[in-house]
Amino acid sequence: MPASLLRELNSLLGPSNVLHKIEDLVLYEYDGSVEKARPDLVVFPHTTEDVSRILKLATKYNVPIVGRGSGTGLSGGALARGGGTMIVFARMNRILELDLENARAVVQPGVVNLDITRAVEHAGLYFAPDPSSQKSCTIGGNVAENAGGPHTLAYGVTVNHVTALELVLPDGEIVRVGSKHGDTPGYDLCGLFVGSEGTLALVTEITVKLTRKAEAVKTLLAIFDAVDDASNTVAEITARGITPAACEMVDGWTLCAIEDYIHAGFPRDSAAILLVEVEGLREAVEAQAAAVEDVCRTHHAREVRIARDDRERDLLWKGRKNAFGALGRLAPSNYVLDGVIPRSKLPQALQQIQSIGKKYGFSIGNIFHAGDGNLHPIVLYDPRDPQQFENAIAASREIIRYCVELGGALTGEHGVGMEKNELMPLLFSDADFDLMRRVHDAFNPDSSLNPGKIFPLSKGCGEIRVRKQAETLPAHV
Amino acid sequence: MTATANLATRLESVLGAHRVVAAEPELREYAIDGMVPGAIVRPASAQEAAEVARFAITEKLAIVASGSRSKLDLGMPPARYDLALDMTGLHEIAHFDPGDLTLSVDAGMPLRQLARMLAEKGQFLPLAVPCCETSTVAGALASGIDSTLRKQYGTPRDFLIGAEFVDGKGALCKSGGRVVKNVTGYDLHKLLIGSLGTLALITRLNFRTFTLPQAHGGQVACFSNLEGASAYRDAIEKSGLPLANLETLSPEMVAQTAAVLRETSAEFAGRLDPAKWCVYASFEGNEAVVPRIARDLQKLANEAAAAGSEILDAASDAHLGGILREAFDWLRWASPAVALFRIALPQSNPGDLANLLRVAQDSSLRAALLVRAAGIVHFTLFVESENESALHALENAAARVFSLAGAGHGHATLLHAPSKLKSRVNVWGPNRADLGMMRHVKHSFDPRNIFAPGRFVGGI
Amino acid sequence: MRTPANIPGAVPVYEDFARCVHCGLCLNNCPTYRLWHLEGDSPRGRIRQMILVGNGELPLAEGFVGHIDKCLDCRACETACPSGVEYGKLVEHARARIETEYKRPLFARFTRNIVFKRLLPYPNRIAFAARLLRFYQRSGLQSLARASRILKLLGLAERERLLPRIDGHFFFRELGKTFPAQGARRARVAFFAGCIANVTFTKLNEATIRVLTANGCEVVVPSAQLCCGALAAHAGVRETARQLARKNIAAFGGGHFDAILTNAAGCGSTLKEYDHLFSPNEPEHPAAVAFGNSMRDVTEFLATLGLVAPLKETRLRVTYQDSCHLLHGQKVREAPRQLLRAIPGIEFVELPYSDICCGSAGVYNVTQTAASLDLLKEKMDYAKITRATTIVTANPGCLLQLRAGAEIHKTGQNVVHVVELLDSVLKQS
Ligand SMILES: Cc1cc2nc3c(=O)[nH]c(=O)nc-3n(C[C@H](O)[C@H](O)[C@H](O)COP(=O)(O)OP(=O)(O)OC[C@H]3O[C@@H](n4cnc5c(N)ncnc54)[C@H](O)[C@@H]3O)c2cc1C
Ligand code: SF4
Ligand code: SF4
Repeated sequence: MPASLLRELNSLLGPSNVLHKIEDLVLYEYDGSVEKARPDLVVFPHTTEDVSRILKLATKYNVPIVGRGSGTGLSGGALARGGGTMIVFARMNRILELDLENARAVVQPGVVNLDITRAVEHAGLYFAPDPSSQKSCTIGGNVAENAGGPHTLAYGVTVNHVTALELVLPDGEIVRVGSKHGDTPGYDLCGLFVGSEGTLALVTEITVKLTRKAEAVKTLLAIFDAVDDASNTVAEITARGITPAACEMVDGWTLCAIEDYIHAGFPRDSAAILLVEVEGLREAVEAQAAAVEDVCRTHHAREVRIARDDRERDLLWKGRKNAFGALGRLAPSNYVLDGVIPRSKLPQALQQIQSIGKKYGFSIGNIFHAGDGNLHPIVLYDPRDPQQFENAIAASREIIRYCVELGGALTGEHGVGMEKNELMPLLFSDADFDLMRRVHDAFNPDSSLNPGKIFPLSKGCGEIRVRKQAETLPAHV
Repeated sequence: MTATANLATRLESVLGAHRVVAAEPELREYAIDGMVPGAIVRPASAQEAAEVARFAITEKLAIVASGSRSKLDLGMPPARYDLALDMTGLHEIAHFDPGDLTLSVDAGMPLRQLARMLAEKGQFLPLAVPCCETSTVAGALASGIDSTLRKQYGTPRDFLIGAEFVDGKGALCKSGGRVVKNVTGYDLHKLLIGSLGTLALITRLNFRTFTLPQAHGGQVACFSNLEGASAYRDAIEKSGLPLANLETLSPEMVAQTAAVLRETSAEFAGRLDPAKWCVYASFEGNEAVVPRIARDLQKLANEAAAAGSEILDAASDAHLGGILREAFDWLRWASPAVALFRIALPQSNPGDLANLLRVAQDSSLRAALLVRAAGIVHFTLFVESENESALHALENAAARVFSLAGAGHGHATLLHAPSKLKSRVNVWGPNRADLGMMRHVKHSFDPRNIFAPGRFVGGI
Repeated sequence: MRTPANIPGAVPVYEDFARCVHCGLCLNNCPTYRLWHLEGDSPRGRIRQMILVGNGELPLAEGFVGHIDKCLDCRACETACPSGVEYGKLVEHARARIETEYKRPLFARFTRNIVFKRLLPYPNRIAFAARLLRFYQRSGLQSLARASRILKLLGLAERERLLPRIDGHFFFRELGKTFPAQGARRARVAFFAGCIANVTFTKLNEATIRVLTANGCEVVVPSAQLCCGALAAHAGVRETARQLARKNIAAFGGGHFDAILTNAAGCGSTLKEYDHLFSPNEPEHPAAVAFGNSMRDVTEFLATLGLVAPLKETRLRVTYQDSCHLLHGQKVREAPRQLLRAIPGIEFVELPYSDICCGSAGVYNVTQTAASLDLLKEKMDYAKITRATTIVTANPGCLLQLRAGAEIHKTGQNVVHVVELLDSVLKQS
């Protein structure tokens, strides 16, 4: 990293917005995933112009750039795989405009997901995409990963709620795509940039749709003594055409860890639970809740509870949303997968995951968006044992391969990042990569933005940029 | 034009004679704004479509893909038009998993046929677009034409989950997949929506499907002026009632709709008052929800001092809804020449609408206004012939509509215009700042510019 | 992980750190992360630094010390953390380590030494030094404070006039007394009076006793009690904290109380966790556990016991700021709200982000004044939005801070402790 770059960045942003000491940089080599890579510099822009100037400097010095929100990503997306300068958007966290009439909010990328809802809930509105990390993750990170959440089932993922973006291209050019209305002539560029994992442009402003709160909501907790029963229930709820707002599944074992944290009254002796929420007009909610309950009972639910009030409902959701973290109580480390399968294949997929777990000698937790078929098998392991880590990775690959065999995909919401990029050929052909690479190169020709992500290193896109980062830290921390 | 007399012969040598047509009368059926292709090719598979693309690359030909050709008048005429690629030969269901509510279907599948097949399993695809009797699924998607179910089910962006297509290098590519949630790789399939065939030849589309509602109904409420109708609409939006569709018709639009309606039901047509502004709301759900919404709407209409309001039973709702779904189709033939604008406004406030009507008044043009759901306005100007003064009036009006829409932070395009107007007015409106990025996208998909050159925004 | 042998008490092990799965769910709940958005000033980043220092991969130097010093020890991260990371335990250990291994600048060492080791443990010195102490806590003896330029140096000049006066009489004189229950005795409790509170919160303590006795509690104030040691423990001055713990355990031992109560959430969370100061194999450990188990915050105790004293109807719009050491340290959220709602006529509105620290945090407002003032500003902005006339909280430190906030930001709001509000609406019997 050239010293003059540091000097220029310091004078551009002020020293309080630039980190360069190793003791600071080591705190940006991790995110929520198991991956690691250290940046050479970390900078904190406050405005779009800052971002543009930083990118111009990066171009001048030919250093790679990676964006970062809160670093809760689960695919290593926000890690500086090629070293270089990391742009942390956390200080660009102003809500720029609330247009309640048109149900739109214009925000900077560092705004925390839940803070959008907090700012508009007084008007009966909310921001629908609700990743379980929503109290920490940023909207910029959500846009980059096209984040989903439990309520994605009914309301769609981030892309369905973004109408316009302000972007800065790698050369520093500031561009806008989409419009407040969301309907613009021409290609759906918003649709392309959302979910591009920070590999095409950096996002500096986002216009999001706000959703009106439903008139009525019912949250059901169905308790099962067999995982098969729970997965059959989900398959049948889907097949019957009942569209809950959310339909989440947690296995009994994980549930105990959650219960330790939350004390929500989750049973400690179940095989699995489903958390199903129905929303809408009172009449619709009544009917749907009854239908869901009926399906649960048909599939031998031991008990179906309905949350009595908002507090009970909040508690159930708090349990679900903290599920990943709660697994930290069970093992020092875990590896979260994100495969997707057709919902009709849910029962067989869960069986297969269990047998893969057995084969490698792991306990595999399952906390996932069942209604979407978005699995999150979680392999628990002890990183102090390198063999366990190897096995965890091997088991994970086998599970992902199986998802693809069933007609599914590698990742439903966490993104490919630097974690699943080598698995991409399971789904995509050389022609597919060739086109994706052309699109990539159209915006990020030198792979200066977030190199080493999405594409397998062998399929072009900046492999040269990704220097082998010396593992300076033991894997166990 | 590169197409020469032996173009068809050379094509035949690649694909076989039965796939190629070069007879005059048929060629004319594929004309776009008077431009006639050099040959028609009817591939029967994605591989054949890819071969045509590769042929076009070597021969430097321009291809315009089409389905049922019901909306070839969208966009600008192509700059070059050598091959008409008729995709209706690709019409299989590749995959349908009713238990997963996912579907993979070939590009040329007619929507009507698809709907029937899905309905057998109690499902449907919420693409309620005009010309639905003939439209193909890929044609509907690539045209970007509005679905009248948009309010409830969104645009294809919300339910297209993957696609297979031939890119401009003649390679078979795909993006997305067959599962309802997926962030693996770039969402290139989203770019195909509304791309008017300029990026790729769509060969197959994957969708999530939806369950057919148990019941549906509608309401028509009339108001003596635009303000009343707008206030009613606002009240409905604020109430949070879930509606499948919500449209406001200006008196002229009511008259035109009644005229179409009269062909099938004079009695129903008689109930629409062409002196009034009408708000049509359509809603669906279970047996309890539909009457509940009807009740609430009647109450809101009363509070909004509607001059009259009527609940439509399922049959009448389907009838009127169907006619409005087809509005684009019949409006464009409603007079000898028509300019049909599609205007997206952040907020369809009465002021903007009144300004549009003023444009018509100022140029003494008959105009119909249809305020659709989700802030989309269809504004139609009718002239009695394509003579110079009429074209001049339309040209001036278009300039004003484009600038009005821009001032309201929206934008306008011309969905339909007389061919002669298209040589004076770019139907896409003024270029936007993101044109450069669009060109990047076009170039990466279609580096040799073989797909529908010149049809799209900014000359793409 | 290497751990220095010379830190007494419980020492965190690998699993305690490994529980942090670096998910980041705590970031936005951490006041210092919210202020600066630096990973180094977030719970996740601080834990990471502790691990690196523990592994010898990061020097125990200025950088690390700075980030740990800036931590409010508010423990909001514990509430936020689904993985059950016991951050409080980790940071106190880190501080103890800094205390033993890091040489602070001379002035800092001098003041820390005076305050933590030579002043707080000795009630007579507290009383004697009340004025000096008040100065140190920015409660300035005016002439002294103004004459010295230290207030300015500390950036406190602006706040000096806002701080509460040292009470006319000190609560120390009540030590050793027993206050009988009014009406039937429903419980016998011991009252932990605090140290500094004896000279600055006499009225609060008196109000606490009135509210308790009015609700049928016999209140004993054991005479041998001392400072709880929270400030010392938070500052890493462990041996002093352990000394104080031993003495307090002895002072309250054998009294057969239904509970030991405090009105200071900061003291309460340390008192409840006296066992953290001793490792399980030390002889003091069992008694420390028992002591902790009988500790209750006064609001927690009253909410469970139920209010029986008749209350006057009072038309007030009130909001509540969670005291970190009550909410995050002791996980008591509902009790104070429940008590407030029990007052007839009260209109209770939630304060947005009430779970975020006001910036008081023990001696934080002295050691990290700028950060403290920034947190206070945001707090008062939200307090204004509530349009409440009274802000209620549950800890003396928070009271001081919020009162200063109301003055500085001219919100015109009254700031009281839950029991003070209850006391003011007691119907005179
Ligand atoms: C406990 C836990 C639960 C989770 N639950 C969910 C869930 O339910 N659903 C879900 O979808 N995800 C979930 N995630 C994953 C993660 O929270 C999301 O991916 C989130 O969107 C990341 O946001 P972030 O601000 O932390 O982004 P980061 O992790 O900092 O970055 C993520 C990606 O975004 C890019 N990026 C960030 N900001 C910008 C910008 N301004 N411009 C361009 N690129 C940018 C980065 O380069 C990186 O590629 C979970 C994570 C955790 C730890
Ligand atoms: S402290 Fe808890 S919440 Fe914070 S990063 Fe670690 S595990 Fe996650
Ligand atoms: S104790 Fe408070 S300040 Fe310290 S890391 Fe935790 S939340 Fe942040």
